[in-house]
Amino acid sequence: MSHTANRDRRIAAVFLIPAIVVLFATTIYPMLYALWLSFRNYDLAKPFIPRIFVGLANYAEVLTSKAFFHALITTFKLMAMTLSAQLVLGVGIALLVSQKLPGMALARTLLLIPMMISPVIVGLVWLFLYFPELGYLNYFLGLVGIGPVPWISSTQWALTAIAIGDIWQWTPFIMMGTAAALQSLSPEPYEAARIDGNSRWDVFRYVTLPQLKPVLVSLLFLRAIDAFKIYDIIFVLTKGGPADATEVISLYIYRQSFTFWRMGVGAAASFVSLIIISVLITLFFKQMQRGQAARAR
Amino acid sequence: MSSVTLRKVVKRYGQVEVVHGIDLSVEEGEFVVLLGPSGCGKTTTLRMVAGLEDISAGQLEIAGRVVNDVAPKDRQIAMVFQNYALYPHMTVRQNMEFALKPQKLAANEVSARIAEAARILGLEPLLARKPAQLSGGQRQRVAMARAMVRTPKVFLFDEPLSNLDAKLRTQVRVEIAKLHRRLGTTVLYVTHDQVEAMTLADKIVIMKDGHIEQVGSPEEVFAKPRNLFVATFIGSPAMNLLPAKVAVVNGAPVLVANGFRLAAPPSIVSALDPGASVTLGIRPSDIRVDEAGDYEAVVEVDEYLGTEVLLNLRAGNHELVAQVPAAARPAPDRQSVRIGFDAARLHVFDTQSGEAIR
Repeated sequence: MSHTANRDRRIAAVFLIPAIVVLFATTIYPMLYALWLSFRNYDLAKPFIPRIFVGLANYAEVLTSKAFFHALITTFKLMAMTLSAQLVLGVGIALLVSQKLPGMALARTLLLIPMMISPVIVGLVWLFLYFPELGYLNYFLGLVGIGPVPWISSTQWALTAIAIGDIWQWTPFIMMGTAAALQSLSPEPYEAARIDGNSRWDVFRYVTLPQLKPVLVSLLFLRAIDAFKIYDIIFVLTKGGPADATEVISLYIYRQSFTFWRMGVGAAASFVSLIIISVLITLFFKQMQRGQAARAR
Repeated sequence: MSSVTLRKVVKRYGQVEVVHGIDLSVEEGEFVVLLGPSGCGKTTTLRMVAGLEDISAGQLEIAGRVVNDVAPKDRQIAMVFQNYALYPHMTVRQNMEFALKPQKLAANEVSARIAEAARILGLEPLLARKPAQLSGGQRQRVAMARAMVRTPKVFLFDEPLSNLDAKLRTQVRVEIAKLHRRLGTTVLYVTHDQVEAMTLADKIVIMKDGHIEQVGSPEEVFAKPRNLFVATFIGSPAMNLLPAKVAVVNGAPVLVANGFRLAAPPSIVSALDPGASVTLGIRPSDIRVDEAGDYEAVVEVDEYLGTEVLLNLRAGNHELVAQVPAAARPAPDRQSVRIGFDAARLHVFDTQSGEAIR
C-alpha cells in the first residue's frame, strides 16, 4: 500500500472516532450492560445490595411466567389488528390520492401529519377523544344512538382503542410508501388493460398489487418491528390496563423494571423478546420472499 | 364499408387545439400509416381511435358504428405500444391470458389462440419467460401476440419500432408486414419514420401541425407530393429545392433558376403564370450525371453508400445532392461533372402557398 493511502486511512479513522464513541456509549454499552444485568439479581429499591450472579434464573422466571406470555400474545394481537388495518387503509388511501383529481397533492401532505406527531401526544389526543362522558367519540356515537362505549375502561375495548390510535398514526406511513411506489409504475400497461377491457378489480389484483408487493413487504416489515416495540401510546392511554388487557411486552418489561424494581428480570425479558421477534419476523419474511421467488420463476 | 372513418375529428386540450378537424377513411383490411414529425398529432389521433383520449368534436366510426362514446374495450381494437406495455411480473403466456380474460373464453380456446399466436410470431420457446428476460424485439413480438389473440377488427400500432435498434427494426418491420398479410386485419400505424411508412403502408397519411397534408399510396406521395412539406418529408436524401421564376421564351414557359433554364413539365405548362415565383423540386435520383448534361457542377463531397453514391454538388449558386449508381461514380479526382434534368420529372411548387402546381 502506498504512503498516501496509509495516511488517508489514518485520517479516516480519526474522523470516525467520535461516531464510534457515541455509538458505543449509547447503543453497545447499554446493550451489553443489560445483557450483564439479565444474569444478575438487581433490585432497584435496594441499590446498595451487590448484584449477585444468578445464572439463568431470570430467564427461567420469564419463560415460566404467565404474565410474560400473556403480554406476548397481547403484543401479537395488537400487531395483527394494526398491521392488517394499516395495510388495507394505507393502500386504499394511496390509490385514492394517486388519482389525478384536484386537491390530491394537498390531501397527501395533510394525511402525513399524524405520522409527524409524537406518540405521547397522539395518546393524549385519543385520551380526550375516548373520555367516557366528555369525549367527542362517544358524543358522536351517541348522536347515531350508539354507546356510550367504555373505550379505555373496559378490558373488552381497551386493546381496540389502542389499535385505533396506532392505526390513525401509522396508516400514513403505508400510504406514503405505497403512493410513491404507485407513481413509479409505468402507465402503458394500464392503457393496454383498458383497451383489453380488464375490470378495475382485475387490474388492481393482477397488475398493481403484484408490482407493489416488494414495497408492501418492506413497509410491513418496518411496521412489524415498530409494533413490537409499541409503548408510548399505551402508557398514556391505559398503562397496560384495565387489569392486564393492554399489557404488551414493552409494558411488561417496564413493570418488572420500574414498578417491581426487578431490573434483572426486566433485562432478561428484553432479551427473550428480542430473540422471539427476530426469529418470528425473519421466518415470516423469508417465507414471503420464498413465495415471491417461486412466482418469479 | 370502411373499417375506420374519421369525420372532422378535433382534439382540444383546454384552449389549445392540437388536431384540427381531420377526415380519414381506412378501408377494411387496409394498412394505413399516419406519418409526420413529432407533435403533428398522429399519436393523439391514434389514441382517439383507441379511446384513450376523448374526441373533442367530430365523429369516429369503427366497422360502421359511431364509437365516440364507446369504451375502448368495446371498440374491437387492439393496440401495440411503443414501449411494449407488457405486464412485467407476468410470463409471456400470462400476458396473453390476461388480455383474453375479459372475453371469458373456454380454457381450451384460450390455449388454442395463444398457441396459434406463439407459433406465428415464433414465441413458442419464450412462453414461460417474463418480459425482463426478453430482448426488445422479442418483447415487441409478445406485444403483437397479445394484441393478436384478441382477434380485433382493427390493430393500432403506436411507433412500435422506435425503441428497437436499426437491425431489429428491419426484422420486426418484416414481421409486421407478414402478420398483416396473413391476418388481413385493418391496421392503423403511427410512425415518424418514412421508411416504415413507405415499406408497410397501403396508404400513407402525412400529418403536420394537426392537419392532414396528403393521403395516398407510397408511390403517389413520393411521385406526386401535393406540397413542399410532403415533398421534403418523403424521400431520402431529401428533394433539392431551387427558387425560380416563370419566364416565356418563344411563347413557351421556361423556369429560370439562377443560371439554370429549364423547360416546364409539359403537363403543367397551362397552369404556369409568366413572372410567377415558383420553387423547383428535383429528387436526387432525378439528376442525370453524364457527359451529355447541360450544366457544369463541381463535386464537393461524394458519399459512397455501396450500391449508390451521393454527390454533393455546387452548380453556380445552387447546392444540389445527386444520387447515382456506384458504377456511375465519377473518378475521385474528377472535380467537375456535367449534370442534366428531365423536364417531366421536375416538381413545381407555388412559392407563396407551397402547393404543387398541377
